Amino acid sequence: MNRLGAAPLLLLWALPLLAPLAMLLPAALDGEAWRMALAHPQLWPALALSLGAGAVSTLGALALTLTLLAGLYRSRVWDSLQALAASGLAIPHLAFAIGFGFLVMPSGLLARLFIGGEAPPQWVSVQDPWGLTLSLALALKELPFLLTAGLALLSRGDAALQLRQACRAAASLGHAPGSAFLRVVLPPLLKDLCWPLIIVFVYGATVVDMALVLGPTQPPALAVVIWHALNDVDPAMNGMGLAMVLLLTAALALVLGVVALLLRRARDPLHRRLAAGPSPLSAPRGLAVLLGAAALLILLLAMAVLVILSFAPRWPYPALLPPVADGAAWMKMTAAPLWVSLTLSLTAAATAVALAVLWFETQAPARDSWVNGLALLALALPQLASAGGQYKLFLPLGLTGTVFGLFLAHLTPVAAYVLIVLAGPYRAFDGRYVAAARALSVSRIRALLTVKLPLLKAPLLTAAAIGFAVSIAQYVPAQLIAAGRFSTLPMEAVTLAAGGNRALTAAFALALATPPLLAFLAAAMLGRPRWR
Amino acid sequence: MALKLEHVSIRLNDRTLIQPLSLSVETGETVALMGASGSGKSTLLSFIAGGLEPPFTATGKVSLDGVQLDSLPPEARHIGRLFQDDLLFPHLTVGENLLFGMPRGPRPARLARVDAALAEAELPGFGERPPHTLSGGQRARVALMRALVAEPRAMLLDEPFNKLDAPLRQAMRSFVFEHIAARGIPCLMVTHDEADVPPGGRVLRLKDGEVTHA
Repeated sequence: MNRLGAAPLLLLWALPLLAPLAMLLPAALDGEAWRMALAHPQLWPALALSLGAGAVSTLGALALTLTLLAGLYRSRVWDSLQALAASGLAIPHLAFAIGFGFLVMPSGLLARLFIGGEAPPQWVSVQDPWGLTLSLALALKELPFLLTAGLALLSRGDAALQLRQACRAAASLGHAPGSAFLRVVLPPLLKDLCWPLIIVFVYGATVVDMALVLGPTQPPALAVVIWHALNDVDPAMNGMGLAMVLLLTAALALVLGVVALLLRRARDPLHRRLAAGPSPLSAPRGLAVLLGAAALLILLLAMAVLVILSFAPRWPYPALLPPVADGAAWMKMTAAPLWVSLTLSLTAAATAVALAVLWFETQAPARDSWVNGLALLALALPQLASAGGQYKLFLPLGLTGTVFGLFLAHLTPVAAYVLIVLAGPYRAFDGRYVAAARALSVSRIRALLTVKLPLLKAPLLTAAAIGFAVSIAQYVPAQLIAAGRFSTLPMEAVTLAAGGNRALTAAFALALATPPLLAFLAAAMLGRPRWR
Repeated sequence: MALKLEHVSIRLNDRTLIQPLSLSVETGETVALMGASGSGKSTLLSFIAGGLEPPFTATGKVSLDGVQLDSLPPEARHIGRLFQDDLLFPHLTVGENLLFGMPRGPRPARLARVDAALAEAELPGFGERPPHTLSGGQRARVALMRALVAEPRAMLLDEPFNKLDAPLRQAMRSFVFEHIAARGIPCLMVTHDEADVPPGGRVLRLKDGEVTHA
C-alpha cells in the first residue's frame, strides 16, 4: 500500500470537485445577489416547476423500473434486460431529448402515425407549461440507469444468489411470485436504489440541456433561469445566478430531508405489512412486458426520427416519410466539435480508469468509503453548483478557455461514475491469481499487467465506456469552462435545437448519440471473456 | 536446502493468531500443518511467500537455503505455491500458463520444456487448449507443472486436494508428492485431512496459536 498512489486522484479529481464548493461561499454572503434572486419574478414558479419535474420524473422512472423488475424477475427475458438497459444508458440525455421532441411535437412522427389530417394537431407537447413532456422524457431516459442499478443487485454475485434462494423459500411458504418479490426482493432493492434515486431526482430538477430543448419557457425551469444568469455578461447577474444555485441546492436538500423523514415514519407500518402472511399476488408480467416494449419502442422511434430527419431537407405534414432524402445536413456538419468531443471524452475516460486502478492498487479497501462518498457527492450535487464553483475557481487560475480546464471539468463526473462502477468488480477480484503469478517469480507490475488487468478486462472496458458516454454528453461544464473557445457536440446540438434547421439538429444529435453506442458495443465485444 | 522459520508470530489486529513458532523443513521433506479453520495456517503460508497483507501483521524470520527472505518481494523468493483451486490463468492457453513462470531462455528450449511438462502431466498435445476445456484433475496437474517449471526452491501447498473428489484426490496426492520429491525441495502443506500427508511426512498441529508435534 502506498499513500502516494492516492495523490493523482486527489489532485485531478477530488480537489477540482471540493475546492469549487468553497468558491460558492462568497455568493452565499452576497446580500445584493440574494436580493436580486428573491426579487426575480420567475423564481418561485420556476423552482416549483423544477422540483415538480424532478419528483414526477423520479417517481415515474421508479414505477417503471419496479414494474419491469417485478414482472420480469427470473423470467426468460431477464438476461436480455441487462443488454437493453446498457443500450439505453449509452444514449446521451440531450440526443434522446431532441429525438423525443421530434417524436411528440404537433408535427412529429406520433401525430403523423396516429392523428393525420391536413394540418398538425393543436396540442401543446414540447415546451408545455407544466413540464410534463420534460418529465416524461426524463423518466424514460432515467429508466435504463435505475434498471442497471437494480440489476446490479439482482443479477450478480452472492446477493443475487441469496435473493433467489429466499424467493424459493418464500414460494415454499405459500407466497406467489409477486408476493415473494414484494416481501423478499423489494426491501433490499429499494435500499440499493436509494442513491441512484437521489441522483435521478437531483438531475431531473437541475438539468439544463434537456430543459432548454423540452422544458417550458414562461416560466422556464429554475436551472434554465440560473443558466441564463450565469452566462450573462453582467457580474451582478452571475452573482444572482450563484445565489439561485444555492437556493435550488437548499430546496433539493429540504425535499430529500422531508422525504427521508416521511419514509422513516412509514417504516414500521410498512414492515408490518411486509411481514403479513402468504398472498396469491402474481408478478405483473403482462404489464411489465407492455411497459417495457413501449419504453423500448419510444427509445427506438426517437432515434429513428433523428435518422430520418437528418436526411430530410423538408418533411411536410402529414407525410410519414420525407419526399426526398439527401445528405446535405451531414455535409454541413463541422468536424471540429466532433473531434473536440471525441478527444476530450476518450482522454477523460482513459484518465478516470487509470486513476481508479491506481487508487485500488495502492490503497486499502477500507479507504474506499470516503472516495465512494465523494463520488456520490459529485453525482448528487446539482451540476450547476459544481460547475458554477469550478468556473469561479478556474477563472482566476487562467484555466477557463483552456483544454486542461475543460478536461478537469469533464473528469469530475466521469471519474465519479468510473470509481462507482469499478469498485465492486475490482475489490472482488480473487487476489490468489496475483499471488499465484508472483509465486511464479513475476513482479507485481507484471502480474498486474499480464494477469489482473486482462482478467478484469470486461469491467474495465465497461467503466471506460460509461465514462466516455458521461463525458461526451457534458453540456453545463463544457459551456461554462470552454468560455467560447471550444465547441463540443452538446453545445452545438443545444444551439441548433433552438433554431429552425431540423436536419442539422438531428445530424448533430445523432453524432452525439453514436460514439457512446459504439463505445458500449466495443466494450461488450472486446470485454467478452473467451474462457467461458 | 531447508526452509526455516524463526520465532514467527502472526497477529490479526489485536489477536495473536500464531504464537512465536520456529520450524525447519528439510530438503525433500514434507511437513503437514493441520488445524481448525481460521487458525492461521494459510496466513502462515502467505507470510512465508511474502504476500501477507493488512490487517495481518507478522514478526520473525524466514530463510531458504540460508538466505533471509523477509525483505524480498514474493517474486524473488523462489517459492512455488499450490492453492485449493488450480488458479490457471483463464485468458492464457495451457502452454502459455506453463511459460508464464518459466525462467527466460531461448524460445525453442522453453517450448521443449512445455512439451516435457505436459508429457509429465500425461497431457501431451494440450498446449494450445484453453484451461476451461480441461477436466478438474487435468487442470490440477497443469497447475502443479506450472509451479514446478518455474524452478522453485521450496513448495507451499494450501489444501491443494480439498476440492477434488475421492478417486481423483488419491491420484493427485501420488502425482504431486512424486514430482515434488523428484525435485528434492522442502514442502510445507496445509491440510485438514491426515490422509493427504505422504508416507514419511511430518505432521504439526496448530491449536490456539501454538504448534505441537503430532
